[in-house]
Amino acid sequence: MFRYISKIIRYWSLKNKNKSQDTAPGKVNNEPLSSDLKRNLEVIKGILRDSSDVTFHEFNFGHERKFKGALVFINSLTDKNEIHKNILQPLMYDVLLLKKDVSMDFSKIDTIGKNLISIAGTNKLTLLNDLLDHLLAGSTILLVDGSKEALAIECHKMESRSIEEPGTEAVVRGPREGFNENVNVSIALIRRKIKDPDLCVEKFKIGERTRTGVYIVYIKGVANPELIEEIRKRLSRIKVDAILESGYIEQFIEDAPYSIFPTVSNSEKPDKVVSKILEGRAAILVDGTPFVLVVPMLFIESFQSGEDYYSRPFLASIMRIVRFLSYIISTLGPAIYVALTVFHQELIPTQLLISIAAGRERVPFPAILEALLMIFTFDILREAGVRLPKAVGQTIGIVGALVLGQASVEAGLISPIMVIVVSSTAIASFAVPAQTDSGTILRYLFLALAGLAGGFGIIMGLLATLLHLASLRSFGTPYLWPIVPLNFTGLKDTFIRMPLWAMPKRSSVIVWNEKGSHRQSPGLAPSPYRKDSDGSK
Amino acid sequence: MRKKINILATELILCFLMLFMLSGCTGGREINDLEIVIGMGIDKDKDTGKILLTAQVVKEGELGKLSGSGGGGADAKAFWNVSGTGNSVFEAVRQITHKTGNRLFVSHNHAVIFGNDLATEGLQKYIDFFLRAHEMRPTAMILIAENRASDVMDAKPETEKLPAMNIAKLVKAYGFTSHFYKVNMKEFASCLMSETKSPLAPLVGVSQDKDSEDIYVSGMAVFKKDKIVGKLNEHETRGLLWVLGEVKSGVLIVSSPNKEGNAVLEILEAKSKVKPEIKEGKIVINVRINAETSLSEQTTSENLATIEAFEKMQDAQAEIIRHEIMMTFDKSKELNADIFGFGEMIRKKYGKEWKDFKDNWDEIYSTIKLNIDIDVKIQKTDLLKKPAAQKEEGK
Repeated sequence: MFRYISKIIRYWSLKNKNKSQDTAPGKVNNEPLSSDLKRNLEVIKGILRDSSDVTFHEFNFGHERKFKGALVFINSLTDKNEIHKNILQPLMYDVLLLKKDVSMDFSKIDTIGKNLISIAGTNKLTLLNDLLDHLLAGSTILLVDGSKEALAIECHKMESRSIEEPGTEAVVRGPREGFNENVNVSIALIRRKIKDPDLCVEKFKIGERTRTGVYIVYIKGVANPELIEEIRKRLSRIKVDAILESGYIEQFIEDAPYSIFPTVSNSEKPDKVVSKILEGRAAILVDGTPFVLVVPMLFIESFQSGEDYYSRPFLASIMRIVRFLSYIISTLGPAIYVALTVFHQELIPTQLLISIAAGRERVPFPAILEALLMIFTFDILREAGVRLPKAVGQTIGIVGALVLGQASVEAGLISPIMVIVVSSTAIASFAVPAQTDSGTILRYLFLALAGLAGGFGIIMGLLATLLHLASLRSFGTPYLWPIVPLNFTGLKDTFIRMPLWAMPKRSSVIVWNEKGSHRQSPGLAPSPYRKDSDGSK
Repeated sequence: MRKKINILATELILCFLMLFMLSGCTGGREINDLEIVIGMGIDKDKDTGKILLTAQVVKEGELGKLSGSGGGGADAKAFWNVSGTGNSVFEAVRQITHKTGNRLFVSHNHAVIFGNDLATEGLQKYIDFFLRAHEMRPTAMILIAENRASDVMDAKPETEKLPAMNIAKLVKAYGFTSHFYKVNMKEFASCLMSETKSPLAPLVGVSQDKDSEDIYVSGMAVFKKDKIVGKLNEHETRGLLWVLGEVKSGVLIVSSPNKEGNAVLEILEAKSKVKPEIKEGKIVINVRINAETSLSEQTTSENLATIEAFEKMQDAQAEIIRHEIMMTFDKSKELNADIFGFGEMIRKKYGKEWKDFKDNWDEIYSTIKLNIDIDVKIQKTDLLKKPAAQKEEGK
């Protein structure tokens, strides 16, 4: 049976591959610039003729105004003050301060860049293609008559949001700042936390049309070079026309695209991403979104929160166990209720059975339908609650409480115990946000299995899920580590969170050498000062 | 290629669907379709001589209303005693579906009560169904009604709304007095299968007052093979439990040292060690009992919290316990029923000699000698040291 499945999958992937090769869009502007300014401008104007926001500014400069130059820039992306002060003014007026007899050949772009332009961040360009790239990314292009080269000068004016607290991943204790749509701000937030010369930021441009900046951030020596190479390989095979969010990248690089479990994690919080980079993972930043991808991902990461490490280990450990239980409740809650009440009534204590039976007396539906109805209503409420404008958002809570709770019970459509089961499932599902999609799908799946085959069905479903989880890999890392394969050092930070001083080594499955696994010196457990324990005093 | 894939997809879907066909045998039932049986009574129908089975079915709706705020009518019963007749228990159970419309759900059956008439006739043929049916619990309690089981089922207890639940509660509370003993189906059946040991089951009855019918459980019915041969009263039952080491708690009353009143003692703990011995071909059973009690009440103004008084009371207690045990032992000899399970003990310890005893155990049982050694200690006097009485009245 599995052979059939894999055959079908292979067939489709092959088919898609062929298709993508046929229609791969290519650009043909890969020609060098000419030394004739007029010609160059005509070519660029020809390409951008329908863009009204492109400015072409021709001017003469130098002593006696004998050199001809032109600036090309996009109004909306550039800072005009900057252009005036640091490009035009030096070229046209400050140049006159130079002594006349200093012979400088301003038809050479190099000379201009080194002597006159007072902006850091210039690139020499020789190809039309590169020129367009820089122009569209917001650089100002300086062209000079007689030169085969052009100068791209960075004077962007990028509007961006200020650094705010992210809407997801709220914490009680810990940094409140969040990443930003402007990738430079995001990288700055990471740089601010890791002041290490080994921190690498590799840039990729992905998207034929969007030319979106995608950055791999990692620490050289801590991150496994094979992992980085693998990420490079997977990123460079993405040939699409647009990358609008990191989710696009995620779907093109993940290990198990058919699995309901995510193998790439994402976060909006710099402290979380930085801690993962320090553990030897690599972050993938995408321009235009605050959501940063981190690979490889382990299943237990879904149950960890940044706050676990900032607060003391006791409550953190309890909360972690609460999260595990919540995930179990949110996936299995309604299924177990249905299995018990429909198949295994003998397992319910007599008094409870009687009160369940009393509650269900007027309910016209079978338990499975009742549960499906309630879970579906909850999903509608959740989705509507996200989409609703804030002003009417409160309505959904009131309506939901009435629809889901009181009214349906009083009308005899739903039993009160089912309301308790579904609402506790609903609450539990919010405790583990990283596994929301897998949790939601598994909830329906297990419910169907429980309705068809009771506890037997649930066990079969659990077995299949477990097998599937154990087979998953995220960039070569076993998804269920440290439970499968079992690793005792890793277990220190799984179901409970040991004190920081008790965990001197990092996860051995991600780091690749001794240097990487070193977190701190051993024996840092604090203790009150004692005279005899310290030999010197 | 496309055609091939379509075929594959169809096969896949079929495989998936077949998976659920396989599980069909487990069969689910909605709770609404269940008649939850919490107790059963089995009698002999007076007219036809057939089996009359009374099943106590919970009326969930009524129960919910009664426990809810106020509104419930005083007459509304939370249970429905539905009966069926048949030549066998199973036939009677199925006969009941003519009245209920649903199959009885017996997994939550807490108590099975047999009528006295069936017990005298022999229980073996009636108990089979309760052990064989897969829904039945072997931990369901077995009780013998003093008269008819259906009367017990119809009683109206005051606090519990369900008579069968009330019975289960009463039986579980045996430890307060140790005047009877909890026996479930499994234990009863294992005694039935034993060569020598006599099965026992607590007796249940209904006390008829002017305006209330209360269920009470007291004493044990003694069986020989599967037929009832006699009854143990409350003290005799406790005599049995002393030997078995199953006395949980209870009250011992001894007269105070100056004979003016009584000292009432609560049994805190009791342990027993039983060692069978064969001396010159005769069986001697050595019973050692260690018990601890506390002074819970005294009906005299005398100060009992003295060493001398304690010693006297301890001796008196031991005498009572010895008396209770001997009373039970004599009764068992009289009924010729090995309720203590001495036969099993001998079989385990003296396997070779047992072959000689096995065939005429009934005769040998009456020759058994009991050697009782009792050690009772009074541990405390609870909150009072001296009685609340004026000193000069003390002595």
